[in-house]
Amino acid sequence: MYSRALPYLLILPSLFLAAVVIFWPVYDLVQISTHDVSRFGQLRDFIGLANFAALADDPDFMAALWRTGLWTLSVVAGALVLSIPVAMILNSDFYGRSVARVIILLPWAVSLTMTAVVWRWALNGESGMLNSALMGLGIIDQNIQWLASASTAFPMQVLIGVLVTVPFTVTIFLGGLSSIPDDLYEAAALEGASGWQQFRTITLPLLKPFINIAIVLNMIYVFNSFPIIWVMTQGGPANSTDILVTYLYKLAFRVGKLGEASAVSLVMFAILLVFTMIYVRLAMREREA
Amino acid sequence: MKLARWTAGLLAGLSMLAMAAQAYAGEVRVTVAEYSSKTGPYFEEVKKEFEAANPGTTLKFEVVPWDVLLQKLTTDITAGTNADLSIIGTRWLIDFVQQGVAEPLDEYMTPDFKGRFIETFLSPSIMEGKTYGLPIAASARAMYYNKELFEKAGIANPPSTWTELQEDARKIKAAGAFGYGIQGKEIETDVYYYYAMWSFGTEILNKDGSSGLSTPGALEAAKLYKSMIDEGLTQPGVTSMNREDVMALFKQGKVGMMITAPFMMNQIKEEAPSLKYGVAAIPAGPTGARGTYGVTDSIIMFKNSKNKEEAWKLLDFLFSTEQRAKFTQNEGLLPVNKEEAKMDYYTKDAGLAAFTALLPEARFAPVIPGWEEIAQITSDAVQKIYLGQGEPEATLKDAAAKANGVLKK
Repeated sequence: MYSRALPYLLILPSLFLAAVVIFWPVYDLVQISTHDVSRFGQLRDFIGLANFAALADDPDFMAALWRTGLWTLSVVAGALVLSIPVAMILNSDFYGRSVARVIILLPWAVSLTMTAVVWRWALNGESGMLNSALMGLGIIDQNIQWLASASTAFPMQVLIGVLVTVPFTVTIFLGGLSSIPDDLYEAAALEGASGWQQFRTITLPLLKPFINIAIVLNMIYVFNSFPIIWVMTQGGPANSTDILVTYLYKLAFRVGKLGEASAVSLVMFAILLVFTMIYVRLAMREREA
Repeated sequence: MKLARWTAGLLAGLSMLAMAAQAYAGEVRVTVAEYSSKTGPYFEEVKKEFEAANPGTTLKFEVVPWDVLLQKLTTDITAGTNADLSIIGTRWLIDFVQQGVAEPLDEYMTPDFKGRFIETFLSPSIMEGKTYGLPIAASARAMYYNKELFEKAGIANPPSTWTELQEDARKIKAAGAFGYGIQGKEIETDVYYYYAMWSFGTEILNKDGSSGLSTPGALEAAKLYKSMIDEGLTQPGVTSMNREDVMALFKQGKVGMMITAPFMMNQIKEEAPSLKYGVAAIPAGPTGARGTYGVTDSIIMFKNSKNKEEAWKLLDFLFSTEQRAKFTQNEGLLPVNKEEAKMDYYTKDAGLAAFTALLPEARFAPVIPGWEEIAQITSDAVQKIYLGQGEPEATLKDAAAKANGVLKK
């Protein structure tokens, strides 16, 4: 009896912390999202799921939902594809490797907002660096208005998203690569395996758990990423680059619909919960293996 | 934990943090908007002077950038940790009044105090017969034009109608610059469109209280701007330029004409002193109608303030002619104080005189709940039109329907 209660007693403090940090705010959000609420957060009548229904009817919300999916998938996939070769190069032995590693990882230390601000300047149509560089190289003969429409703004935002996600992903992969013993490659080389064959049959399978973790962690992180899109276009023009977080911010603090905004954040919470569950399962399987 | 911090903590976390801030007796906390880099130092000086004159009272100013001001106030009020006084956009005032957050100031105001203000600027802060805010800042819009570009293009006088403006823009384009700068991004994108709309005789709200966006005047204005964009008479990439971007182009001498606030005169003085420019009225429409956008920001007292007497003393101090002149001239705003308006600084300056001359035609943002949402709907609609993603007529009709939905609530 005593010994059965002990584990629960031991996790009680962290459970309490989790309750304060997670459960209480979520409870609060559920309260706000199911009530008619003033712009300063005073709850009025209970209105059930009306806020969620209003969202489902809002084409801007649905568009933002799909765009969030596209944004998350393309940034995570792009970062993954770019990070594997970068990590492999940084893992191989060459002169000045530690300097190269620092250069790749340094952008991680710069605040995301600052990165986005710099890019906003660089993409300015009339005085931006990118246009003058392209002009100087003779690639374009007329300024491109990068941020004027979603067709150019959103791909640029995805590209920047990829660039800022690479350092973190490379770090994970470097850890994975250093855990692969060198003698596997030596044996394979002795049997006459080509570089591509070594990559496919040794590197990729052994790196798989790390790739999984990178995917899930990046998914959560990119899904919630606010600064890049907010600083560059504020989700505009005409909501055409909105993702859920930017849409939520506008809904809550511009328009003052705290009820609907809370509903959006619950939807986001639900989506992320699924990802977290996948993450926990991956981590468990990792430990069993 | 990271997960919850991002999604759920947005609203709740802030309120927890704010619990720590408690009001002390004799302390007056004021949330002030940051108009420019001079705002903070100005209020530092106010603190020194006021505290010296009123021993026992301490002042605490929180200087907040405009972009996040409404968000800060929303979270503060939700958590009950708001300051005693705050500067707000007068267009938000109705929400504060309806929620019972703002304290009516009439019982503190002597007739003498009330007499200090210019009527046009005080009236937007009066609701249901009660004064809920005092105009701490006032501004209007007028047209700036680049005299050098005008000379180069062979134009003698600034345009007085939109047709003339279009002609002049063509000439300036031929001379190798952008004719008319149009703002198409972020705050006041809708207002930049109203300048044309008012000239075509349409108001933001029709007489019956419905949205004016579906009227012929609104369509004319949208078509005018769209045709100028298509003809290349504006700067390229309209929807990527916010107000500051267009102002930067004007200061660089790349744009012939643009409409903006008086504070650009201060900026030109500091950043581009050699720029030759003039200030003129906003062009009129076919019937001679025209309108400029008038803005006031109000300073309000919160109902839950514990130090109302001291807070009022501070307001009395802030609205003395001397303090007003210092603040207004620092920030490049218009005088709200009658005595102040008589100063040479305002009457002898051609640019400022042009602004004050427009005041009788100033429109203020309508005092309706949900105004921010209607502004957002309008901005989205005009962006779609500028981009060519929607036919002007259908897009405006759609926006009017949405706006009417908000108005009915």
